[in-house]
Amino acid sequence: MKKILATLLCVLFLVGIGFSVITMEVGKLLASNSGIVAAGNPYASAAGAEILEKGGNAIDAAIAVSLALGVVEPYASGIGGEGYAVASFNGERIAVDFRSSAPALASVENAEALGLTTSDLRSGPLSICTPGVLAGIIELWLHGGSLPFAELIAPAIRLASEGFVVNNTFASTCGSSYDVLMENAPGFLKDGLFAWETGDIATNPELAETYRYLAENGPQAFYKGELADKISDLIESKEGFLRKTDLENYRALVKEPLHGTYRGYDLFVPSIPVGGPYLIETLNILEHFNLSAFSWDDPLVMNIINQALTFAMIDLLSYSGDPEYVYVPVETLITKDYAKTRFMNIDLNEALNSELYYTDYLGRPDLFENSDSYIEAMLAGAGVIELEPSAAGVGEDTTHFAVIDKDGNAVAWTQTLSSFFGSKVYLDGFFINNEMGNFTLDDTSRGLVPGKRPVTTICPTIIEKDGKVVYLVGTPGGYYIQSTITNVIVDLIDFGMTLDEAQMKPKIIGSPNYPEFRMETGYPENTRLFLEEIMGHSVREFDFPYRSFGSLNLIQVQPDGLMIGIGAFRREGGASAPEY
Amino acid sequence: MRRTILIVGFLIVCIGCFAQESEQAVFEQPVIVTSAGQSPGALQLTVVAKMAKIEHTFEKLLDADQFETETYKTLIIVVGASGKGLGAAGVEIDAELQRVLLLAQKAKEYGTKVIVGNLEGESRRGSSSDEILLVLAPYADALFAKVDANQDDLFTKISEERSIPLKLFEKTVDLVVVLNEFFVK
Repeated sequence: MKKILATLLCVLFLVGIGFSVITMEVGKLLASNSGIVAAGNPYASAAGAEILEKGGNAIDAAIAVSLALGVVEPYASGIGGEGYAVASFNGERIAVDFRSSAPALASVENAEALGLTTSDLRSGPLSICTPGVLAGIIELWLHGGSLPFAELIAPAIRLASEGFVVNNTFASTCGSSYDVLMENAPGFLKDGLFAWETGDIATNPELAETYRYLAENGPQAFYKGELADKISDLIESKEGFLRKTDLENYRALVKEPLHGTYRGYDLFVPSIPVGGPYLIETLNILEHFNLSAFSWDDPLVMNIINQALTFAMIDLLSYSGDPEYVYVPVETLITKDYAKTRFMNIDLNEALNSELYYTDYLGRPDLFENSDSYIEAMLAGAGVIELEPSAAGVGEDTTHFAVIDKDGNAVAWTQTLSSFFGSKVYLDGFFINNEMGNFTLDDTSRGLVPGKRPVTTICPTIIEKDGKVVYLVGTPGGYYIQSTITNVIVDLIDFGMTLDEAQMKPKIIGSPNYPEFRMETGYPENTRLFLEEIMGHSVREFDFPYRSFGSLNLIQVQPDGLMIGIGAFRREGGASAPEY
Repeated sequence: MRRTILIVGFLIVCIGCFAQESEQAVFEQPVIVTSAGQSPGALQLTVVAKMAKIEHTFEKLLDADQFETETYKTLIIVVGASGKGLGAAGVEIDAELQRVLLLAQKAKEYGTKVIVGNLEGESRRGSSSDEILLVLAPYADALFAKVDANQDDLFTKISEERSIPLKLFEKTVDLVVVLNEFFVK
């Protein structure tokens, strides 16, 4: 009897220790010397930390987080989606573009023949582009993965089969989309009937089974195996464009990240067709101003940041596209000299005239074709031209996470379905994206072409100083992404804020899509009055914290090597670290 | 003396029954369900109603002209203002408020009982949802609310001020019990 009891106690002890990662509650900093994961849901960050604890590196952990997010944030990303990752690994920096691409049947001609408008491409089967997440995982794993894929997907399988506690974000997101879920994906609902509620234990047995299939057959089975057949058959039956050949032909692209600098820091960001060049442009403009001479809530500073963001976003909307199909003067847009032309547009005294966004305020990278100097470029190109901005929307319902391991390898990763729940097409436990809505039905740079990747604004960012990772930054938020990331970089670098201060500080937006000055409440009353009455801004306030203003999952490495992470408080994110 | 005691006792029992009846209103079917604010809460209510075997019709944009008071014995209005829902319906919040107010007024005029409720909890307790609730409160014969929507006791206060029953519930599925308590079968 004593022997049996002793054995039982040993078993219980072994089961109990398991993987005892440390996870910090929402909005709290976590410090570690062993690596940190910051993600949009504490379960996902814990999955990454579990892999770090097992001896995995930052790429291993990032893959685990990506897959876990598909379970605990299924509305914001998953294997039916896409994204971009920037990694600093073993001294080398890479950017993996696993953006979705337009299926072969998705062309302007076919859309016109079917009598489709752009609004028809925003939801439902026609909105689906070829998913890229698992292809991105393959490329990252090939670059630096050290643990078997089956081990990396195991935490997500456990979450999907054993369940997780539904938080407020999950419940409110599900609840607000209840009607479309009931119509399109009742299998996702609780008991097939109700919206998931806070405190419920949610499981996703279908997704667990899908993940087990991938664990057994490898991530490439999504693109070539029987799952690919199922995806193709479903979408074809629903008269969407995607076919199995699109899946078979899809490839994630491994590139060099774009490099920019800001006040002595090096930034590594993804290039077009996402937001990296425009973040660099914004910061190049801001570098001309001594922002740290002011306080963070000074209306002069806020006006400058708002305008710099607006000019960069004008350029994104005017000059972006898939480089495989469209020429975009990226190398010019990210230069300090080009930024000087935008610096000249900054009006320190009053708000911009929104009617001039695409005429007088239009950026002119074309003037730099024959010159690197802004003086020569501007002398060569007198006169104003006019451009019709792209009308395509940008989905704002995305997720971002960051990982750093004990060796300082780092990954910044943003992934999405485009809108929450994507196309609302649901198969075997996951939703499929609706990226097609980011194309236009014309022959402009954002026009729909088979194989093309749509323009979006995501911008996972690695910031280094003297060759060492200092910050990992990124956020969801559609047209707010550039603003949120710029806000936090300025707050960290110019105003010397701590990670939690920068994350939790109210934010402002600058974009030509919103002529009014959008800001969260929390600034002094006089700041708002000054912006309105002295500078002529039309201010629109949003109650702090407003979700669209960013869900920043951030990591910092201090000079002594201590790593600090924080999960997004606007969306109940979490930071986790291995316990050893 | 004995007769007096019996009569007084009988009167006490009658008063007690009456008091209980006014706290526990009873509602009749068929029911018509509408949304006030166009959040998906009203649609979820129909799922609950089906589980509770309540004979009901759902019209999320029901207006006073469409409201057949001779057909429906009870009107259930599920309060929840949703920008997305209002946008999809092409309705401004002011027009939505006017719509449900006219419905409630018509119900009162023709003797149709009105139940006003919150199904989605705290997430539907913003300024617009509260405005709708307070406009409808004078016409409600009963209330229901998710527990976390009543943290400030707003529903409790309305219930007490108007001497109407309030049913609180934890999870949406618990509304099946609430509806079974409200409705005559």
